[in-house]
Amino acid sequence: MTSNTIEFIFNNKIHKISNPDPNETILNFIRLKLKKTGTKEGCAEGGCGACTIVLGELVDNNIQYKAINACIAFLPILNRKQLILVEDLISSDGKLHPVQNAMVKFHGSQCGFCTPGFIMSMFAMYKNNKSFNDEIINDSLSGNLCRCTGYRPIIDAAKSLNKINDNDEFTKFKKKIINLLKKIKLKNIEINKENKKYFAPSTILELKKVLKKNPDAKLLSGGTDLSLEITKSRKEIKKIIYLNSIKELDFIYTKKNEIEVGAGTSLLKFEKIIKKYYPDFNTILKRYGSVQIRNVGTIAGNIATASPIGDTLPILLSLDTKIILDGPKKREIIPLNKFFISYRKTKLKKGQFIYSVKIPIYKKNIFKAYKISKRFDDDISSVCGSFNIEINKNRIKKIRIAYGGMSEIPKRAKNAEKTLVNSTFSEKIFSKAIKNLDSDYKPIDDMRASKSYRMEIAKNLLMKCFLEVKNKKILRLN
Amino acid sequence: MKNNNNLINDSRPHDSAFKHVSGLAEYTDDIKEPEGTLFGAIGWSKKANAIIKKIDLNEVKKSVGVISVVTFSDIPGRNDVGPVFNGDPIFPEKKVEYYGQPLFAVAATSVELARKAVMKARISYQELESIITIKEALKKNNLLFKVRKIKKGNPTSKINKSKNILKGNFTTGSQEHFYLEGQVAFALPKEDNDLIVYSSTQHPSETQQIIAKMLNQKSNSITVLVRRIGGGFGGKETNFMTSSICALLAYKTRSPVKLRLDRDDDIIITGKRHEFYSDYEVGFDNEGLITGLKIKMASKCGMSPDLSYAINERALLHIDNAYFLSDIEVENYLCKTNTSTSTAFRGFGGNQGMMAIENIIDNIARHLKRDALEVRKKNFYQKNKKNITHYGMRLEDNVINEVFDNLVKKSDYKKRVLEIKKFNSKNNYQKKGIAITPVKFGISFTTIHLNQAGALVHVYTDGSIHLNHGGIEMGQGTHTKIAQLVASSFGLPYEKVKISSTNTSKVPNTSASAASSTTDLNGAAALNAVSKIKLNLEKFITTKYKIFHSKEPIYNNGYIIFGNRSFKFEKIIQEAYLNRVSLSSSGFYSTPKIKFNKKNFQGRPFYYFCYGAAVTEVTIDTLTGENIINRVDILHDAGNAINPAIELGQIEGGFVQGQGWLTIEEVNWNSKGQITTFSPSTYKIPAISDIPKKFNVEIYKDGINKENVVNKSKTTGEPPLMLAMSVFFAIKDAIASVGHYKITPILDAPATSEKILMSIKNLKARL
Repeated sequence: MTSNTIEFIFNNKIHKISNPDPNETILNFIRLKLKKTGTKEGCAEGGCGACTIVLGELVDNNIQYKAINACIAFLPILNRKQLILVEDLISSDGKLHPVQNAMVKFHGSQCGFCTPGFIMSMFAMYKNNKSFNDEIINDSLSGNLCRCTGYRPIIDAAKSLNKINDNDEFTKFKKKIINLLKKIKLKNIEINKENKKYFAPSTILELKKVLKKNPDAKLLSGGTDLSLEITKSRKEIKKIIYLNSIKELDFIYTKKNEIEVGAGTSLLKFEKIIKKYYPDFNTILKRYGSVQIRNVGTIAGNIATASPIGDTLPILLSLDTKIILDGPKKREIIPLNKFFISYRKTKLKKGQFIYSVKIPIYKKNIFKAYKISKRFDDDISSVCGSFNIEINKNRIKKIRIAYGGMSEIPKRAKNAEKTLVNSTFSEKIFSKAIKNLDSDYKPIDDMRASKSYRMEIAKNLLMKCFLEVKNKKILRLN
Repeated sequence: MKNNNNLINDSRPHDSAFKHVSGLAEYTDDIKEPEGTLFGAIGWSKKANAIIKKIDLNEVKKSVGVISVVTFSDIPGRNDVGPVFNGDPIFPEKKVEYYGQPLFAVAATSVELARKAVMKARISYQELESIITIKEALKKNNLLFKVRKIKKGNPTSKINKSKNILKGNFTTGSQEHFYLEGQVAFALPKEDNDLIVYSSTQHPSETQQIIAKMLNQKSNSITVLVRRIGGGFGGKETNFMTSSICALLAYKTRSPVKLRLDRDDDIIITGKRHEFYSDYEVGFDNEGLITGLKIKMASKCGMSPDLSYAINERALLHIDNAYFLSDIEVENYLCKTNTSTSTAFRGFGGNQGMMAIENIIDNIARHLKRDALEVRKKNFYQKNKKNITHYGMRLEDNVINEVFDNLVKKSDYKKRVLEIKKFNSKNNYQKKGIAITPVKFGISFTTIHLNQAGALVHVYTDGSIHLNHGGIEMGQGTHTKIAQLVASSFGLPYEKVKISSTNTSKVPNTSASAASSTTDLNGAAALNAVSKIKLNLEKFITTKYKIFHSKEPIYNNGYIIFGNRSFKFEKIIQEAYLNRVSLSSSGFYSTPKIKFNKKNFQGRPFYYFCYGAAVTEVTIDTLTGENIINRVDILHDAGNAINPAIELGQIEGGFVQGQGWLTIEEVNWNSKGQITTFSPSTYKIPAISDIPKKFNVEIYKDGINKENVVNKSKTTGEPPLMLAMSVFFAIKDAIASVGHYKITPILDAPATSEKILMSIKNLKARL
């Protein structure tokens, strides 16, 4: 079944839009069409959180509340979701929601412009957690910038929610919303608006059909990067294929020696699973971007974008990850380190898509990853270093070292690896390997870091890794 | 409800808090547009310094949805938005002087179409060599004003005779305001070529005047309204580009026009904080007492004067911070560069001056191997001696010694210094640092005539109050505080007072909401209006009810009380109305006592001073330069605070903004003058994890304003920003520990991870 109509819940009712503009952002739709102006534009790139809205999504017969950046999300992705705006939090009898109340009580707003975004992030936190510690609060609010308060009153407001029962109207009307969401059947969406096409296939089979006919279409997974072509470069994206309606791509299979992650799995979902195997991977994912970004961003999206500063890439490289590509022909499996060709260019051919990512589980290995950026929260790496070491009787049996931010593609430090492999685990050999980094990488200067600083920290991170392993101690500030 | 004879001290929520949290607070872009409203976008220069050879706008005009295009030739009057001096053309005719300078603008049927259209311009330039940095400007003597020199005593001979001499230089970086609501205006044409302009500005009166001059009309034809703005921090004090262009588009099209800059355009087009470079020579005794100081202060002013003269002046006026400098000479260079015009930013040069002297003090302490705390105290202004500033003003309200001593105890500073040294001796890769720094900040516009304000208060026949004043609500809570003052003065509940948009047709000729003095000035003007209404009422009551009472009546709990007679406010208002008594009044205030001679740099530029101090402890990672703030203790003098919760918000928020300025916020320009940090992905302001892990902030309990300021309060607008100086010097202290405190680290602001690591590297090389 194919339809050009998207359906979503708004104000407890099903709302239908026929043939929406696939390049229109949800933010513009809210402000210009719905005429609701509580949701603000602060940056149009998902970097400040002023546009945060919450989407309710049906998961296992329950509603999951996802905070997202409305400024970089396209209107058609509202399909089969509940749209919740800051204005909707006020109860039918005009009372503030507990989250709103807390922000008033603790003086959490000054100029008030960032406030609706904070409210929505805090609302999602409130609905998805039972209690709120510093870690949950900071994580939930790290994608919202406030220039006035210095955050302390906002944190206090969030903490105060621990004492409040979750019996808001969203709980009260949950059953009704679940039933409404169930009424909206999964369909293949095909929109043809003026010269712009949008497809949201619901199966892999359908995806292949659409791709065959539209090999030049842009694949939209999280879209946190792709959308900037519209909001920043002011271009049009003529053809979009949205991957996240395909349930077959949203999975995590954990086997004995391997985790396989479907291309459509959100980073937020993935980070919870990977934590058990590679805690550092989890830590870096939390700093990959805000909750708003990680709610929509996917690991496959990060790979396909192939940015030299994509945070998951050096980690995946150091873990000898393989990716499975699907398309018109047979599925093929290729090692990630063969995937990147040059700056933002990959081996992904027209008509192909990433099906899944296979990450080996090395139970005996030491795995460490570090991200260095100007700001702790929601920043792009100056350098990201990842180290996967197998040591046997003080001998390095196998080592994988990969860096992001050091080259035009994320890549492994082959020379340093060569020095270290089959050597005794010692400061001497690490000091030697550190010198190899000069030949492994030629980093560049940009607004984030100078090339000399990049090289300096790349070297120091290798030393840090050595020190942490040697002293069996974590040497980090956060 | 407290009566009007008591001072208020009431932490009620921000007046708009309910509306903020529910999305119902209306900002300029939220105002519903009438049908036919057009939307603007600005086309700007892609070169930093160039002759404009040709501007071809044919494709722009043909672009879908475009209704009108304006260039310099469409401006009937003054083509300049410079507030004090000329130099900021709306659209330059012949030459562009920075990357991002507006060249033309369009009005189209939607925002998207307008923004797409401006990208289609074809502009050819003849590029000239551009000057981007202070060093280049100094080398080429590219200055906006002639070098300003101030001198007190004989520093040269004092330095020569002193036991110790240090020389050095120091830089503090620029800073982007990053108000969450960008520049935006909405102009609606009315009959007679009148315009109503809604603008996100800190300065509606000047917006009005500049638009009037641009259109060659009188000020009475332009009305500017501002309900609230989504942050200003100085960035909306003089940026009249957006509202002027918006007004010009509305004037030309005769349609309502909304113009909102997107974040990138906002950062690229508008000015930022002045970067400062200083070169100093200081003489001091063995205890660190400064005997003489010679310093050159150069600032990056960008392509035009804007407010740079006043900003540099405030830097010169704060080069002492809290220290008595007996012999001092300052040379001030205002560098012209091919970058957006540097402008007002919380602190307004004061913070840059203060950082320069704090760095000198820190270096003196390190040179002498003394705790900087002692050196600071040694140099503090005293009560009865050493109390005249280098500009000849006597300090009458000095509490820095008390605040400092109090904080040293409260923060357990001395014990922690020892603990930190112990920690550092045991840890190779993580080092801790601690610093305590003082703040003394002068309050008043240093341009004396700006220290005036007006207000308009109406009492309606139902006893409700309508309050209007010249101040802008930008988050600092001025509306809340002034409404608190007015309600209290009338003895009425707060809810009786309605605050309305700041409006040039209600209160004329106002000054910018700036210089931390918005509530001081406008609050006093509002109280002046209230007192006039009260006088009318009292005259009516005493006459009608034959009260011969010598004592002042008391306004309390909704009653006006004359001895044993009391009158219900609402009832007596009705009665007064029926007896034809005026229940409305304007109010006015001008700050007393202040005068300043700019020529000889002498006088009393400030009505009073704000004092505060902060202790910061940090940990740095010596392998990466990463750092965290473990703990901050602040003690800040807010006088008798009107609303302690709001003041606390200003103190904490100011601190974190200052922390950003001195740590992670780095504005970058490439060699071609293109700004490379123009969005949140490249320009990082502090986020939630950056704030101190422990954050103990207290208002100084003994604080009281000696001068007759409303509620005996002291402002908390700008001063708390400078409390963050302690973060920078704590980082420097941690770096110094790498060399066992034997060598003074070389560190400029902002202390990014990169600068910290490079400073460590440099220090190790000197060991």
